Amino acid sequence: MSETSSNPRRALSRALSRIANADVAETLAQQGAVPTPEMSRIGVTGAPGAGKSTLIARLAKLRKGEDHKIAVLAIDPTSPVSKGSILGDRIRMDAIADDPNIFIRSIPSRRSHDGLADNTADLLAAMEGHGFDEVILESVGVGQAEYTIRTLVDTVVLVLLPESGDAIQAMKAGILEMADIYVVSKADLPGAELMVAEIQQVAERQTADGWAPPVISTSRNDLEGFARLDAAISAHAKWRKARMDETATQRARARYQAQGLIARRIDEIMEADNSLLDLDPRGLFDALIAKLNPSRRDA
Amino acid sequence: MSLNGKRILIAKPGLDGHDVGAKIIALALRDAGADVIYTGLRRSPDYIARVAVDEDVDAVGLSILSGSHKELVEETARCLAELDAGDIHLFVGGTIPSEDHDELRQAGARGIFTAEMDLDEVVAAVEADLNA
Repeated sequence: MSETSSNPRRALSRALSRIANADVAETLAQQGAVPTPEMSRIGVTGAPGAGKSTLIARLAKLRKGEDHKIAVLAIDPTSPVSKGSILGDRIRMDAIADDPNIFIRSIPSRRSHDGLADNTADLLAAMEGHGFDEVILESVGVGQAEYTIRTLVDTVVLVLLPESGDAIQAMKAGILEMADIYVVSKADLPGAELMVAEIQQVAERQTADGWAPPVISTSRNDLEGFARLDAAISAHAKWRKARMDETATQRARARYQAQGLIARRIDEIMEADNSLLDLDPRGLFDALIAKLNPSRRDA
Repeated sequence: MSLNGKRILIAKPGLDGHDVGAKIIALALRDAGADVIYTGLRRSPDYIARVAVDEDVDAVGLSILSGSHKELVEETARCLAELDAGDIHLFVGGTIPSEDHDELRQAGARGIFTAEMDLDEVVAAVEADLNA
């Protein structure tokens, strides 16, 4: 299958498949120079059913324009049993699916266990190279593990449902402390005000870096809420540009990408030869380290 | 053989509002290892073709119970070709009389699945076609 097509959208789409499917060796072979980060990256996370996809559809519609093209990368979980997936986020993004200035791509999480997908870093870089001004990344929504999204995006939006008190407990030490913007969705449901108040307490403690995370409630029939969210994202981007250490950001992303590649390479090695798993822990560790050596790639 | 790594769009063109069959097929394909995207009800062939391109799927499965399968298969094939995506495989499932099968194949359907077939048979046919 060739990536050349008279239809530029198809060419992009093919390129994304190639990147998503690349094994570790291919991924390394495809690395170009590190792109200058110009495309802004918004990450949307929160538990399944919190309303992430619907919120992204509203947001993309507000933020897109002739000179502001938006890509959406929506990650859904891969079944550990069949390795298949149902990529269902798109169905909630109906309102924007017809827009020529918005490109939506659904991606299965595959081996990744951090709420993102294999090669997410490279997919984002590819979007950057295809002229998008902004990408919105939707994570799987598995909860506490999801703070890794923090590394890959500029602005983290955490979506919470009213009455998700137990979920809050579970998230206390994770993503809950790392969001730049909190959204209480479906705010017409009972319990929303209490939830907003609870989150405000959490948010107030998080001003160490000088950004005070806003808490915004949204509901289906309240367009104002989405407009406030849109404004908050722009305000955060502006604040970030003036205050954040770009070198530190790039270093954190490089570290995430390298760790992910090595973890996957180790998986590949163990899958190719599962008798390694009969070794004692020390022996297995040494064998894996030896096999990671590039001069023994064929191993 | 498996459907691992294959991307399949299950789509409901036309006006019939029944998608139980489409959802059952979607789950069966997922269980066979495919990454499955579902469009939702009442989509136009043009919309389906554009989603197929953006999602870079290997195959589109149309679920049609309305009786307009000939028009909808032809139109979807035409829209795909217009987007330089005529190589995406097309399947059709639903209430489709056997006398229409030849015509549907000529219009581009690589597999025709009816309610009498069991799920394993359908999945095996898709698997064989996409791995050929």
